[in-house]
Amino acid sequence: MNFRFILLILLLILSYIAINPQFDTDGAAIRQVERGSPAAIAGIESPTGAVAPTQREVIQSINGQPVLDVQNYYALLLGLSPNQTFALQTNEATYRITMPERPENASEDLFLDIGLTVYEVPSNNIRKGLDLSGGTRVVLQPEERVVPEDLELIIDNIEQRLNVFGLSDIVIRSSRDLAGDDFIIVEIAGAQQSEVAELLANQGVFEARIANQTVFSGGDDIIFVCRTPDCSGIDTRQGGCSPAQGGGSACRFSFSITLSQAAANRQAQATNALSIVSSPGGGASLSEPLDLYLDGELIDSLSISADLRGRPVTDIQISGSGSGATQQLAIEDSMANMRQLQTILVTGSLPVSLDIVKMDSISPVLGAEFVRNAIIMALVAVLAVATIIFIRYRRLLVSIPVIVTMLSEGFIILGFAALIGWNLDLVAIAGILIVVGTGVDHQIVIIDEALRKEEKARSWRERFKRAFFIIFAAYITTVVAMIPLMSAGAGLLRGFAITTIVGATIGVLVTRPAFAAFIERYVHEDDD
Amino acid sequence: MGKKKKKSVLEQKKADTTKRLGIDKFYHDYYKQLLIIPFVLLLLAIIVIGINFAQTGMLVQTGVSLSGGLTLSVSLNEPMDKLALEERLREELPNDLLVRETVELGVQRAITIQAAPARVDEDLLALEGQVISVVTEFIPTLSTQDYTVEIVGPTLGQAFLRQTVFALIFAFVLMSIVVFYYFRSFVPSFAIVLAAFSNMVITLAAVILMDIRLSTAGIAAFLMLIGYSVDTDILLSTRVLKRKEKSVYDRIKSAIGTGLLMNASTLAAITASLLITRSEAIQQIMIILLVGLIVDMINTWIQNAGILRWYAEKVESEGGRK
Repeated sequence: MNFRFILLILLLILSYIAINPQFDTDGAAIRQVERGSPAAIAGIESPTGAVAPTQREVIQSINGQPVLDVQNYYALLLGLSPNQTFALQTNEATYRITMPERPENASEDLFLDIGLTVYEVPSNNIRKGLDLSGGTRVVLQPEERVVPEDLELIIDNIEQRLNVFGLSDIVIRSSRDLAGDDFIIVEIAGAQQSEVAELLANQGVFEARIANQTVFSGGDDIIFVCRTPDCSGIDTRQGGCSPAQGGGSACRFSFSITLSQAAANRQAQATNALSIVSSPGGGASLSEPLDLYLDGELIDSLSISADLRGRPVTDIQISGSGSGATQQLAIEDSMANMRQLQTILVTGSLPVSLDIVKMDSISPVLGAEFVRNAIIMALVAVLAVATIIFIRYRRLLVSIPVIVTMLSEGFIILGFAALIGWNLDLVAIAGILIVVGTGVDHQIVIIDEALRKEEKARSWRERFKRAFFIIFAAYITTVVAMIPLMSAGAGLLRGFAITTIVGATIGVLVTRPAFAAFIERYVHEDDD
Repeated sequence: MGKKKKKSVLEQKKADTTKRLGIDKFYHDYYKQLLIIPFVLLLLAIIVIGINFAQTGMLVQTGVSLSGGLTLSVSLNEPMDKLALEERLREELPNDLLVRETVELGVQRAITIQAAPARVDEDLLALEGQVISVVTEFIPTLSTQDYTVEIVGPTLGQAFLRQTVFALIFAFVLMSIVVFYYFRSFVPSFAIVLAAFSNMVITLAAVILMDIRLSTAGIAAFLMLIGYSVDTDILLSTRVLKRKEKSVYDRIKSAIGTGLLMNASTLAAITASLLITRSEAIQQIMIILLVGLIVDMINTWIQNAGILRWYAEKVESEGGRK
């Protein structure tokens, strides 16, 4: 057998292994585990972005009842009662999880969650980009040029912020464009969360000031931030929620933090200089409030009770507010603000502030429909090409190898993408189209050289040499056309350039020579 | 060497006596006159681009992905009155709007709204809220799962446009270097580069005339066009220059046989994709490729072939005389 066939078959097998198609996709794959949730306490861990799609942990049963899909998972969870301990079996282990308690005065329909975000079990290892799988993409640009070390720092900090926020299936990378500007691209799979954009762009310089003098700031001064319901949440002592001026509703949240001793001492010194006045609500407080600033903006102003004057207290309450059209929306807004502030207090500030230059929130439904549509489109296009070839040569022995070669090229590109774990997005599909399309052109050149009637005297070797002379010239022009695109414009077309270069290379080195070998062996001009 | 050339001249003379009919005769006898077509097209295209530039200050109108703004795509389960939606949006928003529907094999499947910022510093996230609230009037059950929002800041869009245009020019120069290196002969190499250049310019003019707003995907399409158009040109030049059997005209004709099949198969694939695709981006790529490929047929088989024939016949007859 010809070594060109062997090479092609070998690559096809390798691609199959890399793509690893799964025919049994029962269950619900775990995308994310919320921190401090019952699931996390039971020991389930969030997968990192590096875990291949088909290697993700999959929930198989709850209390012995099989979980078939995502809807099934939620249905089974609904059937459990508060405080009930149940067995959750995955392909890796069995966990014993206790359902949370029903909060006081919560309605009967309140969905009690154990803190797992699940999604349909992936049927293969091809990582779909956000365009196809749905999710959120935020492109950030530092307001001023930064040194590479700072860029690393920003990326680490953003990753930490997202993790603290409860998101782990994320990809963060930096990209430098042709003008030398750096961009940070954050992709969050599966979640349409535009609110995180703000969290990422905030420089997050937090300062607490008394009489315009900074007493403590985010980062090292704060050694603990409470994020559990017992010491954070809507602040009922300060009235909770109330109708806001001009309609709607406003709520206050608060959470406790622990200061370092040095910060507490600074606060004691600052309060020592203040006088005691009687506060409007009765009782005595200090003459100056504690002002909380985030990125230079006043977010809250707290009056300090008189008995704290000059005392180095380490445990203090931080508070803020949120608002919305209804009380429910106001609560959600307050809780979102609280989570943001907590996250920033935990992770500290960025070296520079960032601008949001692009933000995409992509529907998973539209993405899935697009994939289905793209597959149909590709198959119809392949058939259309094969039909034209058949009309011209009237031979299935020519048409069928054309189809096989086109599909092989597509398949090997997908296998390569699965192998190196790169995300296949919409522009990458355009890249596959150009590769397969120019591939057909090259196959026609090969067929034509092979079936040329007038030059029977020439050897096959010479004919293919001539065909590949043309093919290589076209290949090199395509590749050089793609090179400058690798980094143009924040690298948004990089997927297109890489797919085209990789695909064209595979085509020229493997699939098209194999096609030529097939034509050489089985198709002869005197077959007519 | 000289002997071979002489033989080819003889063959050429023999070929010239063959009786030609219809298009074949016309193409054979009037190839120099036919050259007027691509050059007139090129000139017209340059005029169109020039007028557009004078009127708008831009080479081509860009969509929100290159100029900044918001794109909202809503997937539809039941048909929606596009015109009514457009009217309502215009009532509510001062922004430059574009509302389009995506149709898959005759069925309305999605609606896409593009809005450019009304002011340079407009808060695009707030604009998103305004657009969505109008859409909700038409689809009360709209949830975040049903739509996709893409927001591009004006600075990123412009930087992207500048750099991809630079990338396009750079790619073109690299391609020209490869072609000149490959054929090492000025006129044939120049003819290929000229054909590729004419393709891009005429297609760009067509994009302006069809009132297409270029997106990032459209830029990718122009890059693809370099690859596709050079394919047939290289085939043609290789056949004509690297072979010596029969006449130059016969070699051109054999290249046309192969090349038109390449064009036909690509056109078939593009047309099929255009009818099926639901992606705005792929649709734009396919339209630009379709136009570009038709333009390429003129530029390859009339312009490039004409220049090449004139050059090759001259060289071979001179070679014969020596």
